[in-house]
Amino acid sequence: MIAGRGRQRIRPPRRGLHGDEIDFEKTWGTIASAFREIHTKNASRLSYEELYRHAYRIVLKKKGEELYKRVRDFEHDWLSNEVRETIQTLLSPNLLANSQNLGGTTTNERRVAGEKFLKGLKQAWGDHQVCMSMLADVLMYMDRVYCTDHHHPSIYTTAMVLFRDDILNSPTSDADGSAVLGLLNHVILDQIQMERDGDVIDKHLIKSCVYMLESLHEDEMESEDQRLYNTSFELEYLNTSRDFYQQEAEFLLRDSDAGAYCRHTRRRIYEEEDRCRSTLSEVTMPKIQKVVEDELIKNRIHELVEMESGVRFMIDNDRLDELNLIYDLNSRVDDKKSELMRAIQKRIVDMGTDINNAAIAASQASAPAPEPGDKGKGPAQERSLNQQTVAAIKWVEDVLQLKDKFDRIWKDSFSSDQPLQTALTRSFADFINSPTFPRTSEYISLFIDENMKKGIKGKSEHEIDMVLEKAIVLLRYVQDKDLFERYYKKHLCRRLLMNKSISNDVEKQMISRMKIELGNNFTMKLEAMFKDMTISEELTSGFKKHVAGLGDQDPKRIELAINVLTSMTWPLETMGSGDDEEGKRPKCIFPTAIERIKRGFEKYYNEKHSGRQLTWLANMGSADVKATFPKVPQKDGTFKERRHDLNVSTYGMVILLLFNDLPADQFLTFEEIQARTNIPNSDLVRNLQSLAVAPKTRILIKEPMSKDVKPTDKFYFNEGFQGKFVRIKVGVVSSGNKVESDRERRETEKKNDDSRSFCIEAAVVRIMKQRKELSHQQLIVETLNQLVGQFKPEVNMIKKRIESLIEREYLERIDGARVDSYRYLA
Amino acid sequence: MTAPPLTEYVTLVSNDAFEFKVLRSAAVLAGTIKKALDPSSNFKEGATNRVTFHNINGVILEKVCEYLYYNQKHEESKDVPDFDLPPELCLELIVAADYLGV
Repeated sequence: MIAGRGRQRIRPPRRGLHGDEIDFEKTWGTIASAFREIHTKNASRLSYEELYRHAYRIVLKKKGEELYKRVRDFEHDWLSNEVRETIQTLLSPNLLANSQNLGGTTTNERRVAGEKFLKGLKQAWGDHQVCMSMLADVLMYMDRVYCTDHHHPSIYTTAMVLFRDDILNSPTSDADGSAVLGLLNHVILDQIQMERDGDVIDKHLIKSCVYMLESLHEDEMESEDQRLYNTSFELEYLNTSRDFYQQEAEFLLRDSDAGAYCRHTRRRIYEEEDRCRSTLSEVTMPKIQKVVEDELIKNRIHELVEMESGVRFMIDNDRLDELNLIYDLNSRVDDKKSELMRAIQKRIVDMGTDINNAAIAASQASAPAPEPGDKGKGPAQERSLNQQTVAAIKWVEDVLQLKDKFDRIWKDSFSSDQPLQTALTRSFADFINSPTFPRTSEYISLFIDENMKKGIKGKSEHEIDMVLEKAIVLLRYVQDKDLFERYYKKHLCRRLLMNKSISNDVEKQMISRMKIELGNNFTMKLEAMFKDMTISEELTSGFKKHVAGLGDQDPKRIELAINVLTSMTWPLETMGSGDDEEGKRPKCIFPTAIERIKRGFEKYYNEKHSGRQLTWLANMGSADVKATFPKVPQKDGTFKERRHDLNVSTYGMVILLLFNDLPADQFLTFEEIQARTNIPNSDLVRNLQSLAVAPKTRILIKEPMSKDVKPTDKFYFNEGFQGKFVRIKVGVVSSGNKVESDRERRETEKKNDDSRSFCIEAAVVRIMKQRKELSHQQLIVETLNQLVGQFKPEVNMIKKRIESLIEREYLERIDGARVDSYRYLA
Repeated sequence: MTAPPLTEYVTLVSNDAFEFKVLRSAAVLAGTIKKALDPSSNFKEGATNRVTFHNINGVILEKVCEYLYYNQKHEESKDVPDFDLPPELCLELIVAADYLGV
């Protein structure tokens, strides 16, 4: 472009722009005196352009280095002479004494002296900054040309370094070697300490001093972590804070309760946060927080949690706020909140064990050990069983209450923290499945039973839902689900057969809930029971029609309602009194009228389903007997025939019918009754007891009158029987669902163990069939996994089952394998 | 320190006493002028809003002012038209630019 206009002459720059050779010393003199003016704040008389021009010229004349040095020296002189002197005057003896911890001054004096010092320093620093930025402006050309070319730091930076060296690192007095910087740190810390103790301090002042420290660096590199603030002040700050909080923690732990401690700690944390924001530097925030957290929380959390007024106290007294605080604090230092979790878990297990023990105690206190060989169940034992049932229900309610309590704590205080919930659940499972308390399954089932029979009466659907939900909640914790199933089946069986259940719908709801919770397998048999009931109803009405169709209009006709139960699904053996072994059950001899209708039904049933065998369970069921009592003199002197509908057990009916054929003054002995009815001994005793001993239903008279029924006792028909109601229910002892006696329990457990054996074997075979070969350890693990939904088998039991399977040649050991292994034999 | 209100225009004076009233926003594009007028530095120029250049003549200073406006105008746009530089002023302009920190 220039070549294109080649003919035009390019004029050389006119002289005068540079000026001629200049006299360096003279020019410097001008500049230096101007600088002095600037430092004494008289800059407004100076012409920037003139100064700039001078500096510009000097640099142009290659005197940049000289200028740079001169300026530095100038600043050095200025700082060490003028400024330092000002600072020195601020160093009152008090201040110096304090820095060496000599004490002896009041807080107020310290504060005033400290503030004065800080103010002076801040002033000096501020002035220096302003002046230097002006100088730097004037020397801009030098910075731009000379410093860049020679890799010198800009004059501004250099001057800042000078400030550090000449002021901050200068000794506070000629006598001792401590630097102003140290004193500065000390003063700031002192002020902060005053604030911690509740005084008001000048935050802005400190903040500006912190700014100063932040903008100065330890070395020339000016890296972030080499700032004086980081290298000198922050370190000391953190250390003193650590000491302070350490002491404070000790003091607080000794002198106040846990709640106060938590509140205090939280306040401190916020304070420090605030302080970093308003007084110090934001970069310190995480560090000081860590210090506070370490000292006040992490190192103390254990003591705090264990304090008398610690977590335990808070839980017991529902101090939700304080628990929330602890949670908050703990989660600051520990994501897992292990301390809190541990304490909570311990508390749950403790409280749970208390409930367990209370239940055990309640059941034992009221049940003085039943005499061995006690025939039948005496009323005393009966009562104790009742109390045990109450204890069982109380246990369930207590556990539910505990669960509610902790749920509330979890929700309100622990912000629904997930890991904590897991921990809570685990703790509940721990004490509910505690080996010292084996009755959980039974108790829960009893609880449901109680509710099904009475509890839900008159409750709204929603309330019923709640009850069911509660039961399910507990069930979730239970490990040995099979045991529960056994009990539930038994209790359900009683409810269904004896029509004790209030609402079939609710029963079905419960089962569908269990199905959701525990799976199909679990409820299959329970559902089958319901099906049997429905089928039985159909059968009964079918049979009624059938009988009506026969035209056999017997005035004494007996109506039969029957339940046909599939023997596999119903826990019938548990229904019988434990005396008779299965298969040995003697057949009850029914009176002829009954026998006839029984045959009729058998025939009817066989027509419908051929090849099925009906076994009559006379020990269950009940009968309505219309009894007519002859005219005998009454207490009020009237002669009246009385009719009563007696609701008795099947056995009771059989017994009563015997007396039908008997003249009024005749009697039957116990042995005679037994011979003619073939009712098992214990059942007979119980039925006779309720017919002849219980005062309200004394339909028979026993001779001699006593509570116990002996084989030699004689029984008469009580012609003078009186009842207030037309309909009288003759209860048979022990027909409801109650806590099992010890013997029953042992039996249940034994049966349970038996069925577990099958489950385990089945599981082992399933696994081995699939895997063909497996090491012992793996097999155990997989078996446990498979069965976890039903129960938790003992390893020993699994081993035994494996042994037994080997004996029966389902499996074989693999010879020579490094670890014990098995092979599946097809 | 009562800082005089910032005026919209400032005066640039050449060594041969030409005065240029320039928009302050344009003038401060030159480093030296900016520093000279910086109110916080409190130099004489800052107080009077008037900068005198003892080593730049009117012709050059005019060109400089022209350039400052040109610079401000095209600060953010692309496809900037070339700035017309008379060749005979080239060298002197370069020196002035160096001096002014443009």
